[in-house]
Amino acid sequence: MKVSYYPGCTLKDKTTNLDDSTKAAAEALDIDMVELPEWTCCGATHPLTEEKIINLVPQIRILSNVRTEGNDSVTTTCAFCYNTLKRANKAVIDDPIKRQRMNAFLKDDKRIPEYDKETVYDFKEYNGETKVVHFLEILRDTIGFETLSNRVTKKLEGLKVAPYYGCQLLRPPEEVDLDDPENPSILEDFLRSLGCEVVNFPFKSECCGSYLSLSAPDAATRASHTILRSALKNGAEAVTLSCPLCYYNMDKRQDNILKLYADFSTVPVFFFTQLLALALGVDESVMGWNKHHIDPTPLLKEKGFLS
Amino acid sequence: MPQKKIGVFVCHCGINIASVVQIEELVKRLQESSGVYYATDYKYMCSEPGQASIRDAIKEKELDGIVVACCSPSLHELTFRRTSSSVDLNPYLCEIANIREHCSWVHSDSTLATEKAQEIIETIVEKVRLDEALDPIKVPVNKRAMVIGGGISGIQSALDIADSGYPVILVEREAAIGGHMAELSDTFLTLEKSSELLSAKQREVSVHSNIQLLTYSEVEDLDGYVGNFKATIKKKAKMVDWDKCDGCGKCIAVCPVKVPFDQEHPLGKENAIYLPLLEAGPKRVVIDKGICQHFSGECSECQTACPKSAIHFDEQDETLEEEIGAVVVATGYSMYPKDRIGEYGVDGCEDVIDGLQFERMLAAWERGEGPLRRPSDGKTPRDVVFVQCSGSRDPEHAMPYCSRICCMYTVKEAMVYRKAVPDGQAYVFYIDIRTGGKGCEEFTQGGIADNRLIYMRGKVSKLYREGDKVVVWGVDTLMGKKVEIAADLVVLATATVPSPGAKELAQRLKVSADDYGFFQEVHPKLRPVESPTAGIFLSGAARAPMDIPESIMHASGAASKVLALFSQDDISHEPIVAFVDEDYCSGCGVCVETCPYGARELQGRKRVAKVIEVLCQGCGACIAACPNGACQQRNFQAEQCLYMLDAAL
Amino acid sequence: MRAVISTRQVRSEFVARVQDLSGQDLLGCYQCGKCSAGCPMTEEMDIIPSQVIRLSQLGQEEDVLNCKTIWLCATCYQCGTRCPKGIDFSKIAEALRYLGMGKEKEVCGPNHIPTEIIAEAPQQALVSTFRKQGL
Ligand SMILES: Cc1cc2nc3c(=O)[nH]c(=O)nc-3n(C[C@H](O)[C@H](O)[C@H](O)COP(=O)(O)OP(=O)(O)OC[C@H]3O[C@@H](n4cnc5c(N)ncnc54)[C@H](O)[C@@H]3O)c2cc1C
Ligand code: SF4
Ligand code: SF4
Ligand code: SF4
Ligand code: SF4
Repeated sequence: MKVSYYPGCTLKDKTTNLDDSTKAAAEALDIDMVELPEWTCCGATHPLTEEKIINLVPQIRILSNVRTEGNDSVTTTCAFCYNTLKRANKAVIDDPIKRQRMNAFLKDDKRIPEYDKETVYDFKEYNGETKVVHFLEILRDTIGFETLSNRVTKKLEGLKVAPYYGCQLLRPPEEVDLDDPENPSILEDFLRSLGCEVVNFPFKSECCGSYLSLSAPDAATRASHTILRSALKNGAEAVTLSCPLCYYNMDKRQDNILKLYADFSTVPVFFFTQLLALALGVDESVMGWNKHHIDPTPLLKEKGFLS
Repeated sequence: MPQKKIGVFVCHCGINIASVVQIEELVKRLQESSGVYYATDYKYMCSEPGQASIRDAIKEKELDGIVVACCSPSLHELTFRRTSSSVDLNPYLCEIANIREHCSWVHSDSTLATEKAQEIIETIVEKVRLDEALDPIKVPVNKRAMVIGGGISGIQSALDIADSGYPVILVEREAAIGGHMAELSDTFLTLEKSSELLSAKQREVSVHSNIQLLTYSEVEDLDGYVGNFKATIKKKAKMVDWDKCDGCGKCIAVCPVKVPFDQEHPLGKENAIYLPLLEAGPKRVVIDKGICQHFSGECSECQTACPKSAIHFDEQDETLEEEIGAVVVATGYSMYPKDRIGEYGVDGCEDVIDGLQFERMLAAWERGEGPLRRPSDGKTPRDVVFVQCSGSRDPEHAMPYCSRICCMYTVKEAMVYRKAVPDGQAYVFYIDIRTGGKGCEEFTQGGIADNRLIYMRGKVSKLYREGDKVVVWGVDTLMGKKVEIAADLVVLATATVPSPGAKELAQRLKVSADDYGFFQEVHPKLRPVESPTAGIFLSGAARAPMDIPESIMHASGAASKVLALFSQDDISHEPIVAFVDEDYCSGCGVCVETCPYGARELQGRKRVAKVIEVLCQGCGACIAACPNGACQQRNFQAEQCLYMLDAAL
Repeated sequence: MRAVISTRQVRSEFVARVQDLSGQDLLGCYQCGKCSAGCPMTEEMDIIPSQVIRLSQLGQEEDVLNCKTIWLCATCYQCGTRCPKGIDFSKIAEALRYLGMGKEKEVCGPNHIPTEIIAEAPQQALVSTFRKQGL
C-alpha cells in the first residue's frame, strides 16, 4: 500500500526514536510510506472555538498536500497530530461554510499579493478527500493483526505490557472514531499479535496531564503517577503508548514522581512502534534506547529480546 | 323516483356567518332554487329553539331530507343528525353545508361570500337528493378476552374481567406467571414481601373458573377486528410431563447449563431445566429448549436422573387458535443491559449489579438463605453504592426518559439492605429524587433519616476494580467536589426498557409502539389505556415504566374498557362504507391490495371482490383504485358526486 | 457569597459570547456533574467543571473568569465524551480562556517556563500551552 507519512514536529526532535522505529517497521512490513515534503506544524492541539477557523488552516493545508502528492491517505503516529488532522478534516466535510472559507484561504496560500494578481499554481478545491489513518489502523485494518502476528520474527513472549491510550487517540469518539472510547481494544490486539502479555488496567484512557506538564507540572506528575501506579499494581513490566507528550509525562516525569511518591518503582515506557520494530527483527539502531529516561534495555535483556 | 322535499336551514352563528354572508338574500335565493323545497334561517341553529324549528319543519313540511348550513361537520353533524332521527328522518339524510370555516371566516367581500355560500349549499342539496337512508352496521361482540403477559398488571386485568363473569385467556411466555414481582424482595411503600402479595393473586388466577391460563405460550398472530379477533397462540413444549413430575429437582442438580447470575432470568431460572417460581401452584420443572444442550449437543443428563421418567425431549410445540373479542397487552418491562454503559462495565466485575439482581439477593436473604453475600467472593458487602439514572435521562448514550421507578426502589433497597446488614453503609448518587407518588416522598425522607442513608447529588463517571473493592468516581455537586468511594458492591439503577420482543409483538397485533418499544396509547392524556386499534387495550409497564400500584390502576382501567365493550351485545359501525357492484367487478384484486385496513377480499368461488363492512373506514382508496368502476361508496356514489360538481361549478 | 440574578446576567453579552465561541448550549446542561466526576484534574481545580458551567449559565462573568479551573483543564475530552446531554465542557473552557486572554490573563507564556524545560519538553506541549494558556 502507498501512504503519505506525516511525522509532526516532536518526532523530528525530542522523539526521533518514534520517527525512526515507525519508518523502519513500515519498511519491514512493505508499507510504501513516503514522508510528506515541506510539511508544517499541524497546530498540535485541536482548536475548540467555533469562530477562530484560521486555526484549521495548517491541518487542511497538510491534507490537501497529501492529494497533491498523489496519495489518498496520510498516516501519523503522534496522537495529537492524529486527533487534530482527523477532526479538522471532519469539520471541512461536515460544515460547508468552513469548507468554503478554507478553500478561499488555500487558493491564496502560495500567492504573494503584491506580485501575483492571479493564482499561479494549479489549485484544486479540497473537500475532505484525504483519509487520516493512525499507524495502528494500518496495522489493524490494512495488514490485519493475524497477518502481523505471522510476520513477527521475534515473539515478545512473556513481556507484560500495559497498553496506554491517553486522551487524544479515543476522544471525542464521534470525531476521532478509532475505537470504543470506554473499552478500546486496538492496542491490546496489537500487543497480542506481537506475543506480549496484555496487562489490563483501569487507567488506560485517563489523561496524563497533557500539556499542563508545562504550566502545572505537579498536576501532570500526579496524573501520570496515578496511571503508572495502576499499571504496576496490575502487573505491568512496561507501558506502551503512541503519543510523544504522554511519553514525556510518563517517562521523563518518573523522576518527579519519585520525589513526590517515595514508594514508586520505575517502569520503562515504549512507543508501540518500538515494540513492533523489535518484534519484526529490525536493526536496533532505530530504537534510540538511549533517548529513554527510564532505560528499557535491562528489561529487554532479562527477557532475552536483546543481547 | 319522485322529487325529494329538501329543507335548508341557514344558521347565523351569531355574527360569525351573518356579518359576512347576507342571510336574508341567501334564504330568498334558496327559496327560489330548484331543488329546495323549503328554506329558513335562525340565529343559532344548534340551540334548542333552533333544533326545534328543524324538527317542526321536518314534521309540518314532511321533509325527506335536510341541509343545515352552518359550521364544520366535525362540530355539529352529530347534533343535527340526532335532531333528524328524533322526528324519524333517517340521520344519513341530514347533511351539513359548511359556510363558516369554508366561507364567512375566510372572506370579507359580502356579495361574493353570499354567492359562494349559495353554491356550497346547492352542492350539498345535490348530495342529499341522492343520499340513501342508511342504518349503522351491527357486529356481534365475542365476550371473551385475551390478556398477553402474566405480570402483576396482566394478572389484575385478567382477574377484573373474569370476576365480572367473562372468560379470559391469560397468555404468559414464561413457565409461570408473576413477572418481575416474583423477583422482588420487600415492596414500597409498606415493605410487605412481594412474594406474599403476589402468591395470593397467583392463587386466585389458578383457581378461577373463568381464567384459562396458558403459560410457556406466545401469541404468534392476531387477525380480525374489535369484538371478533382470532389469535394464533404457540404453546411451547415444556419437555416435561407435569402429570408425572413432582418437582424433586434431581434433574436440576445434574444440568450442565448454568445461566449466569447477572443475566435477566425471571422466575428463578438457573439452569436449562428449572423450577419456575410459581408460589401458588404445584412445583413442576420445565426445559428451556433455547439453551438446553440436548438440542445443541448430546446431553440427556436430566432424563437419566429423573426417577419418574417425566422428561420427554420429543415433545412438540402446539399451536392453538382462539376466538376473542378484546385483547389486553401487559407484557411489562426489562432492564437496560448494564454492560452497554461502558464506563460502568468493570471488565465483567461481578460486584457491579443492577437493581433486579439486588432484589434477588435481598429476597434470598429474606427467605432465610443465609446472610447477604456479594456475587464475587460471598463476602457481606459493608459499603454499598447505588447509582441512580444509570442509562436513564441520557439522550446521548442511552435512554432519554426518566425511568420513574428507580428513585423509589433505590431508597427501598437501601432500607432493606440496612435491615440485612445493620452495620452497613449505603450511599446513593442521584441527580434528582423523583418520588412524586402518594406517600412516596414521606417514605423516602423517612427511609433516609431512619437508616442514615447518605445521598449525594451528582452522577458517577467511572467504576473500577482495586483489590477487592470497586472504586466509584462520583461527584457531590452540593459540596462542589469530586467524590471517591471504595465500595464492596455497586447497584446500578439501570433504565427501564420495554420487554424483549415488544416491537415485534406490536407488529403482530397491528398496534403501534414508540421508538423505544413501549406500546403507544391513542392519547397520552385522555385515553391512556387504549391502543389506536379498537378492542386492544394497554396495561402496566408495557406502556411506560411504572410501579406496582400504578400498574394495577392501569390494569383495572384496561379491564374496565374491555367490560364496557362486553356490556354491548353488538357494536355499531358507520354505514358510509364501500360496496361492490358485482356486475362490473372483474376480480382483479386491485382493491384488496389497496385497502389500508384489510377490509377487502376476493370471494372464493364467485371471483368477485367483497367489502368486510366492519373493517371499512370509508377512506375511498379502493374506489379510486378500481379500474372497472365497480367500487362505490354509500352516499358518495359517482353519479352523486358528478351532480355535486355540476352544482359547485 | 451572594449573587444577584436578573436578565442583566442571564442574558448578558458574556453568556452569548461563551455560547457562540464554544458552540455549546449552556442551558442544555442539567448539572448532573458527570463531567466533574470523571475529570482527571479536579484535584488541582478550585471549582469543579460543572460549577464553571453553572456560573456561566447564570452570567457570573467575574467569578468564572477568575477561577483556576479553566486553566487547569487538560482538554482530555473525558467530560464531553460521557456527558449525557452532549455538552462538551472542554469547548466551554476554551471559550472562557479565550475571553480571559482577551483580558490579558496570561497564565503560561514562554517567559513562565524554565529554559531547561523548554529544552526537553516536546514541541507539541509548547505549542499547545502557548495556544491554550498565553502568548
Ligand atoms: C429493581 C426493581 C425493584 C422494584 N421494586 C418495586 C417495589 O418495591 N414496589 C413497586 O410498586 N414496584 C417495584 N418495582 C416495579 C415493578 O416491578 C413493576 O411495577 C411491575 O413488575 C410491573 O408489572 P407488569 O405486569 O406491568 O410487568 P412485568 O412484571 O414485567 O410482567 C410482564 C409479564 O409479561 C410477560 N411477557 C412479556 N412479553 C410477553 C409476550 N410477548 N408474550 C407473553 N408474555 C409476555 C413477562 O414474562 C412477564 O411475566 C420494581 C422494579 C425494579 C426494576
Ligand atoms: S427429576 Fe423428574 S420428577 Fe424430579 S423434578 Fe425433574 S422432571 Fe420432575
Ligand atoms: S426515577 Fe429517579 S433514578 Fe430513575 S431515571 Fe428517574 S430520576 Fe433517575
Ligand atoms: S456532564 Fe454534561 S449535563 Fe452533566 S453537569 Fe457536565 S456538562 Fe452538565
Ligand atoms: S477536558 Fe478538561 S474538564 Fe474535561 S475532563 Fe479533561 S481535564 Fe477535565
